[in-house]
Amino acid sequence: MPSTYLWMILALPLLATVIIATVGRKLFPSKCHLPCVAGAVGACVFAVLTLIAVLQSDTGAVETGRDVVWINAGKMTANISLRADGLTAIMLVMVTFIGSLIAIYAAGYMHGDPGYPRFFAAVSGFLFFMLGLVLVNNFILLYACWEGVGLCSYLLIGFWFAKPSAAAAARKAFLVTRLGDIGLFIGILILWQNFGHSLEYDVVFINVKEQYDAHTLDPNLLFWACFCLFVGAAGKSAQFPLHVWLPDAMEGPSPVSALIHAATMVTAGVYLVARCTPLFGLSPNAQMLVAIIGGFTALLAAVIAVTQTDLKRVLAYSTLSQLGYMFLALGSGLGEQKLASLAVMAAIFHLFTHAFFKALLFLGAGSVMHAMHNVIDMREFGGLRKSLPITHWTFLCGAAALAGFPLLSGFWSKDEVLATTYGAWQHGHGAQPIVYGVLFFSALFTAGLTAFYTFRAYFMTFWGDEKLPHGVEHPHESPAIMAWPLRILAVGALLVGVVLGPTHLFQKVIDETWVIQAFPHLQGAHHPNWALMAGSSVIALAGIGLAYLFYVKQPSLADPAITLPSLYDLSQAKFYFDELYELTIVKPMTIFAHVCRIVDAYLLDGVVDLLGQIPAFLGFLVRPVQNGLVQFYALLMALGMAGFALSVLMR
Amino acid sequence: MHPYASQLAELFHHLYPEMALVLCACVLFIGGLFKADRRLWGIVALAGLATAFALTLISPEAQSLPGTAVFGVPVVFDSLAHLTRLLALASGAMFILLCWDESPERFVADHHACFLLIIAGVSMVGSANDLCVLFLALELISIPTYILLYLPKHDDASQEASMKYFLLSVLASAFLLFGFSYLFGITGTTNIAGIMQVMLGANDEERKAVAGMAQISMLMIAAGLCFRVAAVPFHFYAPDVYQGTSTSGAALLSYIPKIAGFVAMLRIFGFVLPPGVDSAGHRAIGMALSDQTPTLFWFLAALTMTIGNILAILQDNLKRLFAYSSISHTGYMLVALASAPYLSGPDAATNGVAALLFYLVAYGAMTFGVFATILMLHRTDRPVESVDDLAGLAKSHPRVALLLTVLCLSLLGFPFTAGFTGKFFVFFGALATHAPGSTLPHWLYPTLAVVGMVNAAIGGWYYLRLISVMYLRTSVKPIETCGSIPGLATLAICVALTLGLSVPPGANWLLRSVRQTTDRTAIVAQPQALNMVPGP
Repeated sequence: MPSTYLWMILALPLLATVIIATVGRKLFPSKCHLPCVAGAVGACVFAVLTLIAVLQSDTGAVETGRDVVWINAGKMTANISLRADGLTAIMLVMVTFIGSLIAIYAAGYMHGDPGYPRFFAAVSGFLFFMLGLVLVNNFILLYACWEGVGLCSYLLIGFWFAKPSAAAAARKAFLVTRLGDIGLFIGILILWQNFGHSLEYDVVFINVKEQYDAHTLDPNLLFWACFCLFVGAAGKSAQFPLHVWLPDAMEGPSPVSALIHAATMVTAGVYLVARCTPLFGLSPNAQMLVAIIGGFTALLAAVIAVTQTDLKRVLAYSTLSQLGYMFLALGSGLGEQKLASLAVMAAIFHLFTHAFFKALLFLGAGSVMHAMHNVIDMREFGGLRKSLPITHWTFLCGAAALAGFPLLSGFWSKDEVLATTYGAWQHGHGAQPIVYGVLFFSALFTAGLTAFYTFRAYFMTFWGDEKLPHGVEHPHESPAIMAWPLRILAVGALLVGVVLGPTHLFQKVIDETWVIQAFPHLQGAHHPNWALMAGSSVIALAGIGLAYLFYVKQPSLADPAITLPSLYDLSQAKFYFDELYELTIVKPMTIFAHVCRIVDAYLLDGVVDLLGQIPAFLGFLVRPVQNGLVQFYALLMALGMAGFALSVLMR
Repeated sequence: MHPYASQLAELFHHLYPEMALVLCACVLFIGGLFKADRRLWGIVALAGLATAFALTLISPEAQSLPGTAVFGVPVVFDSLAHLTRLLALASGAMFILLCWDESPERFVADHHACFLLIIAGVSMVGSANDLCVLFLALELISIPTYILLYLPKHDDASQEASMKYFLLSVLASAFLLFGFSYLFGITGTTNIAGIMQVMLGANDEERKAVAGMAQISMLMIAAGLCFRVAAVPFHFYAPDVYQGTSTSGAALLSYIPKIAGFVAMLRIFGFVLPPGVDSAGHRAIGMALSDQTPTLFWFLAALTMTIGNILAILQDNLKRLFAYSSISHTGYMLVALASAPYLSGPDAATNGVAALLFYLVAYGAMTFGVFATILMLHRTDRPVESVDDLAGLAKSHPRVALLLTVLCLSLLGFPFTAGFTGKFFVFFGALATHAPGSTLPHWLYPTLAVVGMVNAAIGGWYYLRLISVMYLRTSVKPIETCGSIPGLATLAICVALTLGLSVPPGANWLLRSVRQTTDRTAIVAQPQALNMVPGP
């Protein structure tokens, strides 16, 4: 029974959590990874079965019945029901597969940590909510799982709670994403109120479509509904200006960064917008907003990543940037131009390949940290390619894939994103060609930057003279339990793109998504754009080349403080060349990057921190009123009532 | 003979449960003089509650109120009355379990006796159909409360707390009486159904003529009742009194007066009209006294949520923290009340009154559970008073910590807990509110809902802090007290309710019951056009 698979996918991680939290903690504290890994692998098997069932089914979906009523209040009914179509199946396979590998890796990485059972209980719980999020069939259950994912993420970011920075980062993440959740809730309500008084996906989507066909759709209403949903998505997927929590979230253990802040949780927002394509596709303004926010986040984060010296932070900003790409693709899926299905394909394909190489990079960074005794500042170490060979080769695979090296997975998916934006530029009308044109070139530029900062991190870590931080004598390669997940992911990073992309396999699965099938007006044909591919290859290679020049060939160039005095020692011919670089690329880039960093770190962070301080400050103001004198309280009660009396009587 | 003599005589059949409670209280008062036995008097009190419950179940289903009888009887028994009574009895049983071990043995009988009187009072509030009955029922709650706050703990702090509560409560009662007197002046009757009929039946000119008086009366009554539910700016007593009095006293204050206060509001402002009142007029529910009622509740709700939450963040003392938390939850319930007038009607998908009652029930389970835990773990040599005292609870009492975590998550509004379902209905209702035909701007209620949701997000801060203290910190001196059986039972029941009321079938069962209170078609015997103003 295919519908049983869906329940099993949810039940296994939940069971694992319960087992670890109840008996595992006491009976086998050092073996607590076993239930977690078993749950994840089991879920992965069922996810693959689900994918096959989806492909074989006539309706393109596997669905459970809708007879379990969760809440029934008059017109507001919510069922507990699950549904898997192409989009869901892809997410399921990705989450469970990457989740399994990360759980295995974590068994080695977290070894000996006093919170070992707690870690795996939280990871299983996280998997449960994440899988629920993609499996559920209505908005309100989605919201429930959405909050659940946030809570597990809080527990995992704050895992090393003894570090004050970890506790602060966890709280920041929870509160910022919860602010985004308010948007999601309001969005759900707007949909419920105006589109058929239902919380089910299909009823809402079909109702919107009917109103659109009958020309009774209020575009403003749909825009605001999409806007609110996107606020929620931006919170969870860390898009500007709600992105501030993600870089701080790197305080969690590296497997957590890989699982939550690269491969799965942050993709929830992308999934939501993809799922709601029938809504966004009919609201060009909302799509343009999504594209602009996505494109801007991609650029901003890439620029910031260029100057970061903390390896994990480089990767964190890179995640922001890649998520921005996914939103850019989704925002470029203009429904009127029949680009929506292409956009969903591009975004989810990029999400899929990104999950592989970003998880790989984070686990690689974790492996470096493991060897460097938790030092992660790239200035403290270097030349590790001899001492950490496996980490080096796998990291290189991930970095090349992320940089968009031709024929690796990042290349194919990034190319789809660019092609979608290009299509929107070419086919849009009104203000669209200008906006999407700018976004297209910005995305191309970002692709170059991506290649540059990725290889900058790679070269700084693995090339040059061997340099080790204090206290590390003989760096040792990670144990097999950590090395094998790296190898598997590396193969994925190299091959998933070429296997699924040009062969149209991915397209075929995504086309099984019912939102796309039910709305033929959103579909369009896919044509490969060879010129674009060639162009983006050149840009990626140029970025890698520049990084090689600055960080391997002439390391002095990379550091502006050393550059100027050392200019004299350079040959005359090179001088002009370098000066040109210096003036046109390095200096403006450095300044721009610093400005962005300052805006990000002080302005935005400051604003967010300030927002956090407001309650405490207000409380500080109000507190003296609570002085313990009963006559004073009585006076205040009377005054309060007088205030109300005045305001009510004056009206 | 009085025209409604037979109906009046019949009322006594309906009042058996309250009589049983008072009788049981008398037995306790007298018996306590002869024997000091915690277990005996606890069981007697529970038996009294069980008897009342049994009598509720076997009491005649519907009250026969033919014609205009509703304007002549002082009490009515509709589904709100029934629900209030069940809620009072259930929370009564929980409370007896909760405070099983706390008060000194020689006061136990008096303590439980006072408490049974309070429960009788709460139950009476639900069925009151007369200003006098309503006032007496509220005083039947207040006066034993003064004693109860002082009984378990005889120190200066407790004395001060009781005294504070006494003085301010008397002031609140004075406000209430003042409001009642104006209401009597306007309508010429103390019968609530009569008052509703007169106010709803009045034409615009008549309403305009008495608008000022009606508004003053509404404000005064609201002030008096807002004291009971601890809404800002009538909340000042709460933190001081919770901190000073015994833990069971704080638990009592955090919930029992809230039931009475909110049910009284539903009755007196006309949110739930007694059967037989002709509401065919165009006035929305809750606007019987004045059209300004929703506006007043709007401001009260916004203030209460915000001030309660931001002050809760600053607290280190657990009881103070939960005092402010209780204030902020009052704020959420007021949101439901503020939006209720615009959410009525037979096909309304969301229903403010139902949302309020749902939240009230859910909140009861959460707050009693939390106070039961504090009470159970506290010992004089290892106090559980500040947030830090909970450190390491997950190590020493893993099960208790887990249950307390569930309650905190529910207070925070986490999905799959009753707190989430309650908040969902409240905020969804407020967001769905649009006031057709009124002069209110359409963004008014959505704004209130957003304020509420931001507050719920802020609230996450201090509930998470409790969870993280329990799980992530270690204590120098771990808590050694093993939980008492009644305390553990209270906690377990509260958690079971918290989870059970958020999933089917519990959620739907409760939802049906609370929605019934506004479903008047089932009760009204015959629609009637009434021109007579029933006089006193």
